[in-house]
Formats: sequence, structure tokens, C-alpha cells
Amino acid sequence: MAPDPDAALMVAFQGGDEAAFRALFEKHGRATMAFCQRFVKDAARAEELTQDVFLKLHTGADRYQPSARFTTFLYRIATNHCLNEVRRGEYRARPEIDPDSEDGSPLDPDALAGPAATPEEEARGNALSRDVEAMLSRLPESQRAAFVLARFEGLPYEEIALVLGTTVPSVKSLVHRATVSAARALESWSGEGAEA
Amino acid sequence: MTRREIHVEEELTALLDGALEPARRAEVEAHLAGCAGCRAGRDSLAAALATIGTLPPPAPPLPGFEQRFYARLAREAPRRRSLLERLGARPLRWLVPATGLAAALAVGIWVRQDRQRADLEMARHLDLLENYVEVASLDLVETPEDLDVVVHLDEIREGHP
Ligand SMILES: [Zn+2]
Repeated sequence: MAPDPDAALMVAFQGGDEAAFRALFEKHGRATMAFCQRFVKDAARAEELTQDVFLKLHTGADRYQPSARFTTFLYRIATNHCLNEVRRGEYRARPEIDPDSEDGSPLDPDALAGPAATPEEEARGNALSRDVEAMLSRLPESQRAAFVLARFEGLPYEEIALVLGTTVPSVKSLVHRATVSAARALESWSGEGAEA
Repeated sequence: MTRREIHVEEELTALLDGALEPARRAEVEAHLAGCAGCRAGRDSLAAALATIGTLPPPAPPLPGFEQRFYARLAREAPRRRSLLERLGARPLRWLVPATGLAAALAVGIWVRQDRQRADLEMARHLDLLENYVEVASLDLVETPEDLDVVVHLDEIREGHP
């Protein structure tokens, strides 16, 4: 019956198998945190959001229908939760931006690129990450969600439509408008790789 | 700029994503062959995608990621479950907001495949679940009156996708 191994794990968990739920967290927890980090900068907050998402998944497992793809269910919870978080953040009084974050040093030392990167590559990666974060934060939320799902998660438009509860033509338009904004915001980065 | 040209421009990202039907793809490519403006647009989008492809991955979690989650799960899951059981004693149908039902019905007209329908049905239930859990986290739901608040949360929220 179950179309994929994750769906089989969810069905096992619905039957009371907690180990199956842990297997799902161990398989998708880190990827979910990476997804949440496209919405919140702070790693500790992103981890907390990931925990919230899996708590919702745990509590709401009965709502899962095995004919649906597990990742669609997971992305739907995660997207709604992250957008709610972004919305809450907008209502909060924002502290002034840490001046240290503007001079090229990262706010979070863990945000550095992998250990193989040279200091120059790290600096470039951090600067690009900041530009992308700023670009994402300016997008309308539905564009932001569609863009993250398409560009960073690699989801096909059909699945994005299911995650966002909208149509494929609407997803096509959301992803396109967001990509046009990205092209404008990141214009100075293009061709930079060829010079290096 | 012709209406048709605007349509081509709007489909350049889908073209790069390989998301166009073969016939439409051929039309867009034929247009690109004769239109420098649209080619420049496509190249600018492609450059953005290439730049994004060089973005370093987000920082991995600190060690103990799984253990921290399991500890929180052990603390919080029983209370969430018990609240959901109390709410679940009512028929789900009653709990589905009318707007959600209407939207699901409207969507059902164009959805054909069973899998998609299952996904949408699930998504509809999930919106309710979102509400349950949000309210549960505030310890607000104690009486049937509180349930009304849960049911209407979608209407209270703004900008829900
Ligand atoms: Zn053209």
C-alpha cells in the first residue's frame, strides 16, 4: 500500500511504533533544519523550529494519509511553521543590526563554509549568504516559500503546489517573480566566478 | 511588447527549471531564437540560478541534535496528545472551517488524480492541526467555547497562504 519507505514508517508510527518516528527524524531532521535556516538566520532558533515541526508531526500523525507523499506532509508543516515565525518576527520590535555583522565577520561562526574552504572562499560564501538572506527577507511570503522549495529543496512545481495548497500555474508565477527579484539582487555576483 | 511576448518572458524560469510541456518549450525556444530581449532575460535568470548554486550550505546543527529533540519530545508529546484527543472527540467535520471546505471543494473540481486529492485532503486537515497545536501550546483550550476560537483561527490570521 505505502508508496515510499517514509510513508511506511509513518504508517508504522501510526500503529504505535515510536522507533519508526525516530527513524523519520534521523532521516529528515537535519534537512528540515537546513530548510528552516532559509527563514530564520539564528541556528538555535532554526533548531527549535525543527523540533516544533516534528512535534506537530508526532501529534498529528493520525492526519497523515499514506497515499500522500511523506515529504509533502513534512514540507507543508515546515513551510507553515516557518512563515508563521517570519510573521511573528515582523511584529516584534527588531533590535538594531549588530554592526559586527556588517564588516564581513559572520554573526554565527558555524555559518562558515566547510572545512576545505579557504578564508577567501569563506568570506565570499558569507557575503553571498547575507545577500541571499536579505533578498529572501524582502520577498512576499508566498514567493519566498515557493522560491525556497524550488531553489534549495529542488521540489518540482507540482509538489510545491501541493505543499502550498495552490495550483501549478500559480507556483510557476511565484517562482518566476522570486527568481526575477533574485536576479536583480544578485546581479553583482554573476560572472564573478569566472574572474576568480 | 506583445501579449504573447509577455507570456514568454513569464515562462523563462519554468524553461530553465525544465518545467514546460514539450510543445510549449519548443514555442518558447523558437521565440528566444529571434528575440534578443528575451534571451537576455533568460541569461540573467540563469546567472542568478548559477550564483545561488554556489551558496554554501547552512550550518549543520550542533552535536546532540537528535538527543535534544528526543528530550523535548518526551516532555511535551503526552500533553499535546491528550489535548488533541479531547478535541478529537468532536467530529472532525464539525471542526473544518466552512472556508476550508469551500476551498477544498473548489480545488477538487480540477484535481483528478487520487494521490493529489489525498494530499489536499491531508493538507486541509493539517491546517486544523496547526491551529490545535498553536492553541495547545498556549494552554488555552479547556471548554467547548475555546474550540470556537480554534475553528476561527484561520479567519483571525492575516496573509495565510
Ligand atoms: Zn521576446
